[in-house]
Amino acid sequence: MTEKEKYLTSLFGLKNLHQLEIYLENGGYEAAKKALLEMKPTDILAEVKAANLRGRGGAGFPAGVKWGFVPKETDKPKYLCVNADEGEPGTFKDKYIMSHNPHLLLEGIIITAYCVGIHHAFIYIRGEYEMIAQRLEKAIAEAKKKGFLGQNILHSQFDLEVIVHRGAGAYICGEETALLESLEGKRGHPRLKPPFPASVGLFNCPTVINNVETIANVPFIILKGAEWFTRVGLPKDGGTRIFGVSGPVKKPGIYELPLGTSLKELIFTYAGGMREGKKLKAVIPGGLSAPILTAEEIDITLDFESLVNAGSMLGSGAVIVIDQETSMLDVLRVVSKFYAHESCGQCTPCRIGVSWINKIVNRLAQGGGQPDDLETIARLAAAIKGKTLCPLGDAAAMPILAIVEKFKDELLGSTKH
Amino acid sequence: MVKIKIDGQQAEVKEGLTILKAAEALGIEIPHLCFHPAFSPEGSCRMCVVEIQGRPKLELACSTIVQEGMVIFTQSQAVVEARRSVLEFLLAEHPLDCPLCDKAGECKLQDYYELYGLFDSQFKELKEKRAKRVHLGRKLILDRERCILCTRCVRFLKEVTKTGELGVFQRGIHSEIDYFPGQPVNNNYSGNLAELCPVGAITDQDFRFQTRSWFLNSKPAICPLCSRVCSVYIDYHRGFPRVELDKYVYRIRARENPQINNYWLCDFGRYTYSYLEKNRATQVLVRENGHLVEDDWPSQLDLLAKKLKEIYLKKRTSQVGVIFNSALTTEELYLIKKLFVEELPEVNLYLLDPEEGEGDGFLLTSSRTPNLKGVELIGLQPRRFSAAELSQKLKLIIIFAYLPLGDNHYKELNSVLDREAKVILLTAHQTWLMEKADLVLPTLLPQEKEGSMVNVDGQVQRFEKALPAPGQARSEGEILGIVGRQLGIDFSFYQEIKKPADIFDKISQEFSWAEVSRD
Amino acid sequence: MSSLSPETKNKIAAVVKRYPHKQAALLPVLHLIQNEIGFIPEESQAWVAELLDLQPARVKEVVTFYTMFLEKPIGRYHLQVCSNLSCTLAGANDILNYLIDKLKIKPGETTADGRFTLTTVECLGACEHAPCMMVNCDYYGQLTPAKIDEILDGLE
Repeated sequence: MTEKEKYLTSLFGLKNLHQLEIYLENGGYEAAKKALLEMKPTDILAEVKAANLRGRGGAGFPAGVKWGFVPKETDKPKYLCVNADEGEPGTFKDKYIMSHNPHLLLEGIIITAYCVGIHHAFIYIRGEYEMIAQRLEKAIAEAKKKGFLGQNILHSQFDLEVIVHRGAGAYICGEETALLESLEGKRGHPRLKPPFPASVGLFNCPTVINNVETIANVPFIILKGAEWFTRVGLPKDGGTRIFGVSGPVKKPGIYELPLGTSLKELIFTYAGGMREGKKLKAVIPGGLSAPILTAEEIDITLDFESLVNAGSMLGSGAVIVIDQETSMLDVLRVVSKFYAHESCGQCTPCRIGVSWINKIVNRLAQGGGQPDDLETIARLAAAIKGKTLCPLGDAAAMPILAIVEKFKDELLGSTKH
Repeated sequence: MVKIKIDGQQAEVKEGLTILKAAEALGIEIPHLCFHPAFSPEGSCRMCVVEIQGRPKLELACSTIVQEGMVIFTQSQAVVEARRSVLEFLLAEHPLDCPLCDKAGECKLQDYYELYGLFDSQFKELKEKRAKRVHLGRKLILDRERCILCTRCVRFLKEVTKTGELGVFQRGIHSEIDYFPGQPVNNNYSGNLAELCPVGAITDQDFRFQTRSWFLNSKPAICPLCSRVCSVYIDYHRGFPRVELDKYVYRIRARENPQINNYWLCDFGRYTYSYLEKNRATQVLVRENGHLVEDDWPSQLDLLAKKLKEIYLKKRTSQVGVIFNSALTTEELYLIKKLFVEELPEVNLYLLDPEEGEGDGFLLTSSRTPNLKGVELIGLQPRRFSAAELSQKLKLIIIFAYLPLGDNHYKELNSVLDREAKVILLTAHQTWLMEKADLVLPTLLPQEKEGSMVNVDGQVQRFEKALPAPGQARSEGEILGIVGRQLGIDFSFYQEIKKPADIFDKISQEFSWAEVSRD
Repeated sequence: MSSLSPETKNKIAAVVKRYPHKQAALLPVLHLIQNEIGFIPEESQAWVAELLDLQPARVKEVVTFYTMFLEKPIGRYHLQVCSNLSCTLAGANDILNYLIDKLKIKPGETTADGRFTLTTVECLGACEHAPCMMVNCDYYGQLTPAKIDEILDGLE
């Protein structure tokens, strides 16, 4: 696989790509034209399904299947919510898409909305990305002026409004139903599923929620076809992923590579390997919620199935590299602190269990640990896993379980004997 | 109907039911904390999990709808462990307040711990310290350390009273129930929050530290303070062998009634009950030489019957005035009609009720008596009381007094009762009216009788006797029955009616509106 | 509310119009108020409740849920130091301690002259530039003590 298979980020180096004229000069909005003027919504849906475009926010659910769940016959308005919350620690890819190529995202939104019959789209962007939100607003204004948004887009008789909506600092609002609650002006408390957002979503109307990168892939699928998409990636997992690498590597940053790239290659070739004097200890492969891999376990390809088989997950494609000098107790401390801080507090196991684990870990970190503390942590994490109202419980429990299991000896050393 | 298998037994249940409701109908109890039938499922306590064959994770019984062929296990190993887990989490951050918590004995945490817990605490950390005496408004006190964040209180105020005073503030483990500064709970349904709270987080000052729940027995009754006639439970002390208590009734709770009050009680009805015991009239008193002296029922009822017979034979019934109220049972109103309209003609019948109050647009009506509808439906057409009318030549005035809400409405009688007429006073409470009376007969309150009322919407509320009669007091119905029989004008009628249910049978034969409630 | 500028009030009116239900405008409106006042006082919360036909408790529920919304005023510059994993691996602890020593305040506190408030935050989405912090709405990465000195010196 070579760099010339990059398509999503290939223009990112261009100056002022975020401006409409530059985007247009470089083939912008051709996919939207094709979709709206030459294709039927059912054609688009078939193409996206055949492309096996999986969600790039973390859950990896096939986008085409999700769109297909929206009822065709309904007298309620339908909505599209673009999940730009990007809260999964280690993840920073959507920031690049939105700041370097906002019109690409808008183009993807137009095609998606046209396919599903949606006339109102919201971009739910994390509150901290205020500057990026402003850039998106400018792009929307430009697009509207040129007839790519608003009424009767490109004379296709299709209307679409896009609204940028800022969050205000809550990781849980990256979870799709909490996002809906937040958009509706409430606390980000996840909802019970079923019903699923495709039938009961925003304002109780059918709603599609997709990650920024997922939507940004759609124009390319339209232009170059599903077959090409699966060839670039894997047959069941089409396209590239924008991986993020952080930690003590020489070149932290985003790397657009096909699905199926080896994790070793990503770290040691593309990201330049470990910084001077640092040795690899462990890798978190898909954002903080993805269970950790030891240095011995990184001989693995970056795709959905391989990582699940290894007991972890592809998640948001955010690779965090950990070096030998880092204490795993410190990692555990940061992990449990994060989830305790971000728990919305609705359901019993997460609200109390994650905080309990956090208290034990803090006690450990301050030197007050006892040998059975690790057992307790593992027991509590197992009691949280699969029992919570939303996936945040698993997102907390599984990484904690993995750290405690795989680094037991090191952690035991920090307890009193 | 859908066919399911639950805990090994095949069953057919109504379509569209949740597993929780379906199990309930089959007599299987599934523990739950945040769920309440009045609200849509919340799904946050995680206590009601069950195992469904073919599904990898445990599911919530409160929100999962039964489907054809579902195989459900409510007591499998995984389920029992999950329940224990929820309890462990809740109790980890829960204070050991049982020795001084009002909810002890009726607390869901205690009950479920006994069934699904029975473990030793493994929590070695510092528990979250929170405020333990927050005044939420009205008579409510919140102890945040005990709160399990089931949010029933928040949802009640959002969905039932639609006043939304309470909310969940902060996030995660720091979440707490609170109100917007300066806007505490302030509506006529606040008392329901203490009942709704599954633990001792929200307590009621009316009940706080008064007694232990296991000393209380409950009897179903009705509330007579407005024309809604809500269903209630009266909680009364079962007594100590060697200690006399200064109270018998400790609490009024709501009793579920889908037709009338659902699961709720208004604060007015909930907290107004001291009239049940305070200042009761308990002795038959007759005036001799200007003073009231005790006497017995048989002699006085005998004399009364003779007096009425005399008036009847002399055809002077127009000199009799009867002032009654609409807090009497429908059966008693039937007897009043029998005696003072059908048997004794031309008796002057007046209705004198406590002044109307304000309704609240929900349960509380503006009427302050329960059975005004009963008066209308029985066919009594009394004249509205007027002091001017009474000052004509009445030789005998019989007053059925109603005093739980005070005696303001009898003010006007003051001057009228000083005339020549003999006054017979039937009253449950001591009152200045006794000084004007020649005969005082102590009567019962609705909660001490068996009978029925018809509420403002025409709902017939039948009830049993819930509280014992104080002293010598008897019901107006019993008194009218005895007097009527002794009067002898329609002897056979009074022979047939041995108890209020017999009267109700007659009522349901005569009136179509009573037919539905026969059973 | 008399203390909001007409400009902000106009923006608020425009924002409310964008949503089919008034409550959905709550977060954007709160952002606009905090942008002007620096925090969201009780008085503003009551005003917003009335504007959007909400019970005041609903507004306070939201203000206290989201980390970015403040109920009390803070310093002119909010130094938000990321304490999540990639930044910790890159030395965020040292950066935080440097700021604590330099400013003589602990996280959660404000300097006596009202210039700086120091807090720790979770992942800001700039892990490739770890260790990071935000100063109000601006991102700064690859922090070192020297860089911090430079940044703070450039602030009034």
